[in-house]
Amino acid sequence: MDKNKLRYGEFVREIQADHVYISYSDITNSSEQKSSKIKLRIIDVYRLVTPYISVRLLEQIYSLMPLALYLVIFQIFILRQELSGASAISVGLLAVIMGLMFFMEGIKQGLMPFGELIGNTLPKKVHLNLVLLIAFILGIGVTFAEPAIGALKTAGALVDVKTAPYLYLLLNDYASTLVLLVGGGVGLAAVLGTLRFIYSWSLKPFIYMSIIPTLVLTAYLMTDENLSVILGLAYDSGAVTTGPVTVPLVLALGIGIASAAGKGNNSLSGFGIVTLASVFPIFAVMLLGLFLSFNYSPQDIIELSLIASDIQTIQIPWYDKSPFVEMLLGIRAILPLVLFLFFVLKVILKEKLANSGIIIYGIVLAIFGMMIFNVGLTYGLAALGEQSGSLVAVAFSDVVLSNGQELEALYPYFLGLFVAVAFAWILGFGATLAEPALNALGITVENLTQGTFKKRTLMVAVSLGVGTGIAVGVLKIIFNIPIAYLLIPFYIIALIFTYFSDEKFVNIAWDSAGVTTGPITVPLVLAMGLGFGNAMNVTDGFGILSMASIGPIIAVLVTGLYVKKSQEK
Amino acid sequence: MQRKITVLTDAELITCIVQKGNADKIVKAAYKAGAQGSTIHYAQGSGVREKLGIFGVAVEAEKEVIQLIVSSDQVDRIFDTMYLVGELDTPGKGFMYVTKLEKAATYIPQEILKKFGLDS
Repeated sequence: MDKNKLRYGEFVREIQADHVYISYSDITNSSEQKSSKIKLRIIDVYRLVTPYISVRLLEQIYSLMPLALYLVIFQIFILRQELSGASAISVGLLAVIMGLMFFMEGIKQGLMPFGELIGNTLPKKVHLNLVLLIAFILGIGVTFAEPAIGALKTAGALVDVKTAPYLYLLLNDYASTLVLLVGGGVGLAAVLGTLRFIYSWSLKPFIYMSIIPTLVLTAYLMTDENLSVILGLAYDSGAVTTGPVTVPLVLALGIGIASAAGKGNNSLSGFGIVTLASVFPIFAVMLLGLFLSFNYSPQDIIELSLIASDIQTIQIPWYDKSPFVEMLLGIRAILPLVLFLFFVLKVILKEKLANSGIIIYGIVLAIFGMMIFNVGLTYGLAALGEQSGSLVAVAFSDVVLSNGQELEALYPYFLGLFVAVAFAWILGFGATLAEPALNALGITVENLTQGTFKKRTLMVAVSLGVGTGIAVGVLKIIFNIPIAYLLIPFYIIALIFTYFSDEKFVNIAWDSAGVTTGPITVPLVLAMGLGFGNAMNVTDGFGILSMASIGPIIAVLVTGLYVKKSQEK
Repeated sequence: MQRKITVLTDAELITCIVQKGNADKIVKAAYKAGAQGSTIHYAQGSGVREKLGIFGVAVEAEKEVIQLIVSSDQVDRIFDTMYLVGELDTPGKGFMYVTKLEKAATYIPQEILKKFGLDS
């Protein structure tokens, strides 16, 4: 360059940058840097922690707020009812948001590393039979840890012992057995699903072999007046099990086993377990109901419950009082799973955990989150759901609320009926479309089908299915249709479509049902159904969730067949 | 006729590795400071998480790697902007470096080529 000329860029460089140069070698050579802990300034802590919290908080707010707002707005503007206990519900919803935030982060930091480590190393070190046994026990453990399972127990408090004695017995005295059996179903699903990965079996025979006996048992229970009321619960519990703890943990183990067997490359590897995990519990719950019917007569149960309530009115120990009981439930849900995973890791694998500090942090956070979530579940989600459920009935019929208040029908019968069904449909459609898990499934499916099955198509199909399912469920409660009359034909239709569909679409369709039922939708819809059922004087308000699971299965199967048809042209 | 390629010199590559989700605002700031385009890819990182103790949980193991090619006149300006916007002076927030590129080539608008008398 000419000596008298200076490039403007060089000039700007000189005056602008205030760079201090040091050699990286100087840093790495000095011995004091070996002490590896970094000291943080206050501003650093602030900068690190704020985005960490805000991202996770917003995630939960986005998934809960639209639903809650929809319920409240509908109640105030369409039903013209004030929200009773608004402050308690707000605090409860806040607790749900905080609780889920802590819980999900805790699971991610504390349990997922366990799951991945075990999934990757276990199959290489021990025999397949032992691996499957561990998968089975893990299935039970994760079911207890599933946040939505608490909703079933909460729902038990709303059941009237006189009209539905077996349902009452299942949800109260036998609640733990119920969860254990549901967990057993999930465990069995984990075992069979894993075997399916390894031997690349088709999903279809599994569906036929699990659905057909389930339907037969359903038909048998339907004939007994006292037993038919547990059908709704049985089918709903299938939807409850496939939540944010079960799916990733069981999948991590299953995929780990399959890849250790050298069969992990199948693109459909991840599918199927979710399906089986939502079918087996149905069967398990029905069996438990059948078993109870042999041992107790309805009169026994009513007497038992009277004695129990007598004792309770005398003295309730502090640990049985809300909110302590919810907190204890939180600990009971997480701790056994953690201990089991720890046992497997230490005793069977003899592995050491890296980063044990972070894992302990995660576990503490998960337990803490579960405790807050459980409190929020009772005071927020369940209360709000029950309230709007019982008020929806006001749209078309006269209702006597639980506090003795009498309300007259707001709209003419058919218009009101339409309002109620439309309310349910929009609720299901909107809540599903907003579900982040569905978005993730949509992306997987689009990749899997080389773009022929668009993400948008899947999301709309599933949401339509859920919306319609919930609307049908509401109609079921209004006209008091036995749930079996709806479930048996729907499942038969699904089976027929399954027969004609491709393996790929069968996998996607049956799994899509499990994806839609997260820890917010489940308690809300359950409580809504029960509140609605009580307002309509129907014995059980269960069954809405089960309609919401079969809906998307049929919707996706039909869409799959349509996509295939239009491709052939 | 022989085909012609116009090769750019004085190009430098800025690579900036940040936690997942942070790349967006950094890239926007870089555009404001004069960058023309950018590429982001995803990666897994390790190192600082372990050294931060309990605060390590606040650092995502998933990273976004931003790469942008800028002229050597702009490089310091954009480098500084990205450093400040990304708050890279906080541990765990990321790492960045500049590489001198020998040559680069891409589409160059005809009217600019004309200015240099290089149009065909």
